[in-house]
Amino acid sequence: MSGADWLSYSLQDFVMFGPQVFLRLFVRINQDLWPWQVLAVVAAIGIPVLLFRQGRNARCLAVGLMAVAWAVSGYGFLVGYFGPINWPAAWFGWAFVAQGVLLAAAMLFGGVHGGALSFGRFVALWLIVACGLPWLVLAESGQWQALALFGIAPGTTAAAGALIVAVITGPWRWLYLPLLVLWSLFSAAMFWVLQTSWLLVTPVATLLLVGAGFWLSPRPARSLD
Amino acid sequence: MAGWFSRRQFLINAGLAGLALKSPSLFANTSGTPSLSPIMRQIPGANESIPAIGMGTWITFNVGGDEQLVAQRTRVLKTFFDLGGTVVDGSPMYGTAADVIGEALDSLGAHDRIFAATKIWTGDESETRQEAARSGRRWGLDQFDLLQVHNLLGWQGHLETLKQMKANGDVRYIGITTSHGRRHREFAQIMEREPLDFVQLTYNVLDREVENRLLPLARERRIGVIVNRPFQGGSLFRRFQSEPLPDWVGEVGVSNWAEFFLKFIISHPAVTCAIPATSKVEHMKENMGALYGALPDADQRQRMADYVRSL
Ligand SMILES: NC(=O)c1ccc[n+]([C@@H]2O[C@H](COP(=O)([O-])OP(=O)(O)OC[C@H]3O[C@@H](n4cnc5c(N)ncnc54)[C@H](OP(=O)(O)O)[C@@H]3O)[C@@H](O)[C@H]2O)c1
Repeated sequence: MSGADWLSYSLQDFVMFGPQVFLRLFVRINQDLWPWQVLAVVAAIGIPVLLFRQGRNARCLAVGLMAVAWAVSGYGFLVGYFGPINWPAAWFGWAFVAQGVLLAAAMLFGGVHGGALSFGRFVALWLIVACGLPWLVLAESGQWQALALFGIAPGTTAAAGALIVAVITGPWRWLYLPLLVLWSLFSAAMFWVLQTSWLLVTPVATLLLVGAGFWLSPRPARSLD
Repeated sequence: MAGWFSRRQFLINAGLAGLALKSPSLFANTSGTPSLSPIMRQIPGANESIPAIGMGTWITFNVGGDEQLVAQRTRVLKTFFDLGGTVVDGSPMYGTAADVIGEALDSLGAHDRIFAATKIWTGDESETRQEAARSGRRWGLDQFDLLQVHNLLGWQGHLETLKQMKANGDVRYIGITTSHGRRHREFAQIMEREPLDFVQLTYNVLDREVENRLLPLARERRIGVIVNRPFQGGSLFRRFQSEPLPDWVGEVGVSNWAEFFLKFIISHPAVTCAIPATSKVEHMKENMGALYGALPDADQRQRMADYVRSL
């Protein structure tokens, strides 16, 4: 294909589904999972609680829960529901699973530090993500079953996952970042084409929260080992 | 599709009766006499005609395993058939659209009402037959009416195999596709050399480059023309729907913008069929309105194009 041919492609040409079908994915997964959403809510509350308890085990457990959230939203939502109508979503789904494995490895092999975090700031941001972002899909679709819960919906999960940058150290952190950035760019481009403007908030928030994760992380970082 | 005409005609007429009640102007042609026969176009070089309005499935039929939306798209397809449509265009590139068409055909029991057109879309030129067979399973069909090489991807190898498949009776017609005005020079060269039944290309009231070379060449070479992106992917509606239609379009059997855009296309003498895509029953009814009534002549087409440009 010539350069001129490539120039004739627009973002639109790469989005192979419409907004109605995309928004219904949230309704469908919530209907199919009911009532197991309770577990996602418990995890969303449990992570900040565990992060601020004394001791290595609690913080590792929090990171472990985050790892599970990455894997579940990646495999469940992206591979299972979104992948069939949008192939790149399935690839991202597997990348979410790998991100979960990476986080679990960081937890097991000393990639989680024990330095003190600012409790107030972290919890405030976590609450905004876990309690605020889920409503955006609802605002866009007008259907209450479309709530984009942490641990189920990939956008909310990635945004919360960005804050975890605050507790992981050195090289683990750099391995953890690319997916956050790529996913945010991918989903922002997709929402732009679909003209679902409310949803654009989530990838923008994710990128800002990566910055917040760095800002919240204590310096110099101290390993738990 | 043999042997279905009388049943189909009955269904068409039943659908048309409903549509006529809803929109009587739809069926008035220029002479003022009502016309209930769909505009059919002969496939050049074949003893067969197809309705001049078909249906595309890009985006609109890619609804995955969403049973609610599959049922709704089934109603869209039913409306299409009921109003006289037969040509449905798909591609393995369109995600789950092929499975959704298959499911819809099953629930409508309409395998004999369709002129099924899909594409070969793989860079592996030895995969032509396998991909056609996979698509056939997804649509629930033993054989396609038309197989097209999608966007010229691996066209040399695929076209050789498609020619053999046609000779063996594994497919009835073969062709190539492009869109958005891409690779027209190469496209023309293939049209000049190869024994194609159909080409598929983009043509609409704003994108008219094909009028210069590809449409005249199709007439000269007796190749059928399927027109994709008749609404420029929907942007024609976004740009013009809020504007008034000109007073004189009633003369050319047009009562809404969908008919305006589609009749402009199918009135070009080289065009066999346009394949607008929609996810909505109401839009399907509007689009199928273009299959009936009068068509603009060359002067009126020019006025249509001028009017749109003036907006
Ligand atoms: N290279 C290729 O082979 C190639 C490339 C492009 C397209 N194609 C084929 O050509 C088909 C048509 O092209 P396309 O789907 O890209 O674009 P199109 O048919 O020009 O436009 C489709 C859009 O128009 C809207 N629409 C349809 N009828 C309408 C009406 N009456 N009022 C208002 N809006 C209406 C649809 O929205 P709603 O769903 O809301 O009605 C949809 O968003 C494709 O589906 C595909 O089968 C082939």
